[in-house]
Amino acid sequence: MNSSAAIDVREVTKTYDLGDVKVEALRGVSFTIARGEYVAIMGPSGSGKSTLMNLLGCLDRPTTGRYLLDSIDVSTLGDDQLAAIRLKKLGFVFQGFNLLARTSALKNVALPLFYAGVGSRERNALAAGRLAEVGLADRVNHKPSELSGGQQQRVAIARALVNDPAVLLADEPTGNLDSTTSEELMGVFQHLNEAGRTIIMVTHDEDVAGHARRIIRLRDGRIVDDQATGKG
Amino acid sequence: MNLTQYFTEAFAVLAANRVRSLLTVLGLIIGVTAVIAIQVLGAGMAGAVSGLLGGLSERAFIVFPSQQANFTRASIKLSDLQRAKDEIPNVVAAMPAGGQRVVAAYGHAHHRITFGAGPDERFSTSTPIRYGRKLSEDDIAEGRHVCVVSDQGYTKFAMIGDPTGSSLRVGDRRFTIVGVLGTDKSGILPLNFNLDVTVPYPTYERYFVHGNAIVFARFLMADASKVEATEADTLNWLRHLKGPRVEYQTFDRKAFSKGVDGIFAGITIVVALIGAVSLLVAGIGILNIMLVSVAERTREIGLRKAIGATRFQVLLQFFIEALALSGFGCLIGLILGVTIGALVNDFAIVKFSGVVAPIPWVRSILIATVFTTVVTLAFGTYPAWRAATLDPIEALRYE
Repeated sequence: MNSSAAIDVREVTKTYDLGDVKVEALRGVSFTIARGEYVAIMGPSGSGKSTLMNLLGCLDRPTTGRYLLDSIDVSTLGDDQLAAIRLKKLGFVFQGFNLLARTSALKNVALPLFYAGVGSRERNALAAGRLAEVGLADRVNHKPSELSGGQQQRVAIARALVNDPAVLLADEPTGNLDSTTSEELMGVFQHLNEAGRTIIMVTHDEDVAGHARRIIRLRDGRIVDDQATGKG
Repeated sequence: MNLTQYFTEAFAVLAANRVRSLLTVLGLIIGVTAVIAIQVLGAGMAGAVSGLLGGLSERAFIVFPSQQANFTRASIKLSDLQRAKDEIPNVVAAMPAGGQRVVAAYGHAHHRITFGAGPDERFSTSTPIRYGRKLSEDDIAEGRHVCVVSDQGYTKFAMIGDPTGSSLRVGDRRFTIVGVLGTDKSGILPLNFNLDVTVPYPTYERYFVHGNAIVFARFLMADASKVEATEADTLNWLRHLKGPRVEYQTFDRKAFSKGVDGIFAGITIVVALIGAVSLLVAGIGILNIMLVSVAERTREIGLRKAIGATRFQVLLQFFIEALALSGFGCLIGLILGVTIGALVNDFAIVKFSGVVAPIPWVRSILIATVFTTVVTLAFGTYPAWRAATLDPIEALRYE
């Protein structure tokens, strides 16, 4: 086990207790992801990939097993401690973008910094920098409704990066985009990964997953396949 | 913790839902407006009442026979009255009260006027002066032939400009006018000294109290706080003087205030009830709209939590939104209430009483603040807590 791994998952299980029925979403999953990796997590619906994503995203805790994020054991932390970890260590990109509708691109990107207690001038400067990084330097004051789907997702990526997270988590990031825009967005991820970002992406699209350098496949709560794509 | 940012965002959200926000706080606006308007009016009324009582000093009380008494038998000798200050503790002066109707001449004009002893300035509250001065201690001590003309006396004689120095004739007596009083609306009190022309009371006694007997007397005290004991002593003194068959009664500022206070206490209770009911209704409105807001923005809450907002930060956001809503409502209510109260006060009460009471700003702001706090705490906390405790995974999945 590499102690400098960005993500270190050891024998993690997750069981949902729905009263009479217990659903075993994850049945003992172990893997590590080193810094700078670009990993796609794939699997059919019900395979446990959403559950795994929630655990990796510190939105949930494993039932058993350990999860070390950037060498911090986050498997037993409380709600507010998890919030702090999400704030500092993680960046999220969602399928539905999840931008604040009435808020400019700049303010959307700056939002995590607000919760981190960064002053407004510094927030805006950092956010503007991230928007430039995703190619939206000229869309800073546009509202989400004034941007295309691809642009909105780039704003979301800028927001995910603004706290300089250890890991960028993307959940079906191209699910709402057409294939041309998807390709563009994959370019953005590619570029970020080349710049050293650790990226984990959940997808069921083989073409999208093909952009990653490694694919972890899940089925029935277990890893069935974990290999490099030969890219990079 | 950057509260300004929270407020900015809260106002942005409320502004985006303008109509909804306005309708929601309408109840609060109406409630706070009503309560504050009545408070302002109450202050105006209280000011008016004490203004009306202005003619009767706190250090004075009036003695007059009870209604069933025989006025002739009840009349008090002037010589007895003059002894009162030596014989009744705390009484420093006693004088005839009320006046009589006489024909007076000013230049060539003859008019029937009310005429009597002027109050001793040491014991009267201030009446505005238009020209000259009031009766002085020396006027009274020396029983000078001077007089003060009231506002209505001035009008009656159609005087022009400053009449001080010229003289006024009553019968064969001439009185030099030393002053003219301004508007003094003290007309609702019985036996109040709203006379057209007043002269020093020794002068009045000397020439105008016929038969050495008076029915209404005014007593002045050294210490206003002993009014009850002094009134009792005075009644005893009169009983001793006139025998047990003649009953007298007293009237003072307190006796009047007591009745007025009762009315105000009633108004206060009604206003408090209106306030409580409107507060409850308005609060439920705010509770409802905040719950709607939380439900509408479930995904936003999920997003905020996912990117690292703590429960407290989410709680604060929605709490401040409720606070902004109720604070806005209370502020509008405060402004409307004070405006309406002041307008009604100006155009009704001040016109009638001539007294301008100060607007109770501090109390109004205090009421608005208490309303805001109570409404926000009682009805804003639950929706904010609901938002704060949402599970981010489910919130993000919410459609």
